[in-house]
Amino acid sequence: MDFIDVVIKYTPFFLPAAWMTLKITLLGIAFGMLIGLGTALTRISNNFLLANVSRLYIFLIRGTPLLLQLFFFFYVLRQSLGLEAFSAAYLALAIHNGAYIAEIFRGTIQSIDRGQMEAARSIGMTSSQAMRRIILPQAFKRSIPPLGNQFIIALKDSSLASAITISEVLLQAQRLAAANYKMLEMLTIAAVFYLFYTSIFTWLVSWTEKRLDVDSDKQRGLV
Amino acid sequence: MIKIRNLNKSFGKLKVLKNVDLYVRESEVVVIIGASGSGKSTLLRCINFLEHPQSGTVKINGQLIDKNNEQEINKMRTQVGMVFQHFNLFPHKTVLENVMEGPTQVKGIIKFEAKKLARYYLEKVDLIDKANVYPSMLSGGQKQRVAIARALAMEPSVMLFDEPTSALDPELVGEVLCVMKELAKEGMTMVIVTHEMGFAREVADRVIFMDNGMIIEEGIPDHLFDNPQNSRSQAFLSAII
Ligand SMILES: Nc1ncnc2c1ncn2[C@@H]1O[C@H](COP(=O)(O)OP(=O)(O)OP(=O)(O)O)[C@@H](O)[C@H]1O
Ligand SMILES: [Mg+2]
Repeated sequence: MDFIDVVIKYTPFFLPAAWMTLKITLLGIAFGMLIGLGTALTRISNNFLLANVSRLYIFLIRGTPLLLQLFFFFYVLRQSLGLEAFSAAYLALAIHNGAYIAEIFRGTIQSIDRGQMEAARSIGMTSSQAMRRIILPQAFKRSIPPLGNQFIIALKDSSLASAITISEVLLQAQRLAAANYKMLEMLTIAAVFYLFYTSIFTWLVSWTEKRLDVDSDKQRGLV
Repeated sequence: MIKIRNLNKSFGKLKVLKNVDLYVRESEVVVIIGASGSGKSTLLRCINFLEHPQSGTVKINGQLIDKNNEQEINKMRTQVGMVFQHFNLFPHKTVLENVMEGPTQVKGIIKFEAKKLARYYLEKVDLIDKANVYPSMLSGGQKQRVAIARALAMEPSVMLFDEPTSALDPELVGEVLCVMKELAKEGMTMVIVTHEMGFAREVADRVIFMDNGMIIEEGIPDHLFDNPQNSRSQAFLSAII
């Protein structure tokens, strides 16, 4: 059998694994966004305790390998919390990405001119109102490009979940190759799935950016 | 209306306000002048607690403001409008939405009413035709007039202006000063930091000269401009006029 035939023949066997990759990535990103936003907000808050808890969290996550974090969730927390391997995987990914997303949000929130907060406060808004209605909408827009980048990293990082028995794309490639001795073909199929997903992510991000650009063109009065 | 006593403010070791007393009566227009770094903005920002003074008291409309009471400060701010040098309009909201933001979000006025209110104040600053555009489409003078409308829509009893025309091209200064004159005529209480001496002379009931964190001299404009008593005010005025 030649290369193309093998690839075509085995691609359907990857579909459940591809679905798994997508699921843990999307759940990891979604919860990572919530964790990231919460962490960014507490990190810049005046609450000394919370700010330092956030700082510690970011320090721990960014300073250790994702693989270690996955092992920690799988071998330590899974037992004590009674998680499935699947939950351990996406939670570890969420906690991991949350730290990076927190830093993205913190950066863009702090990049908004101080005068915006002052103007909002000067008309009597509370700091959380001002944050929600004035600062975050502007910060969120600036966050789209770095977030898109982080999403792509998260997608590729999800392959590490293979180390904790999650049947995602890379583990599936390994398993099939162990049986059919066609490692190159299996890796090729896996690569194509990753490239397919990253292309979709990239396209989604630039579409969102374009849409927001259209909005800001409107804000600039260009359309 | 505004009673400030013994106000002290430092940034770290730098003492920016030193035992400042300032009374402003209802409908009075007070203009604050002084060299750069003398503490004019800081004084203004201490009135609505954008800066927290280390000591001293601020009374607005007879109410002593407790600097640790966020709620009280927020409530006070609805009565004290502020206009900034760099406008600080909300770029992601239209002109109309900028003006409606305070009434709807802070006062809880329903949208329909807030829209009427916003349109009324935009009319007042002569920008009703720009209601639906975004701030970035406006000239500096128009932006500042929207900022004034945004502050007025809260129906404050005092307006604070921190160099409202300093960031404007010379030909746009007039339209903003014109709106401010109109407000003064209507009896709005105003505290204005400005370098527009002609405007100060025309509109101010009282001019205050600040130097190095202190009020060095004050008086009615004609006296202070034509016959300053303090050597520092003399030096400052001769340098800029
Ligand atoms: N947030 C801050 N942190 C540290 N120092 C500050 C801060 N704000 C103001 N200062 C300092 O306080 C002093 C007074 O500043 P302020 O802005 O009140 O002066 P000003 O009279 O308004 O000057 P200008 O005419 O340039 O606006 C200056 O020396 C300034 O550097
Ligand atoms: Mg100033």
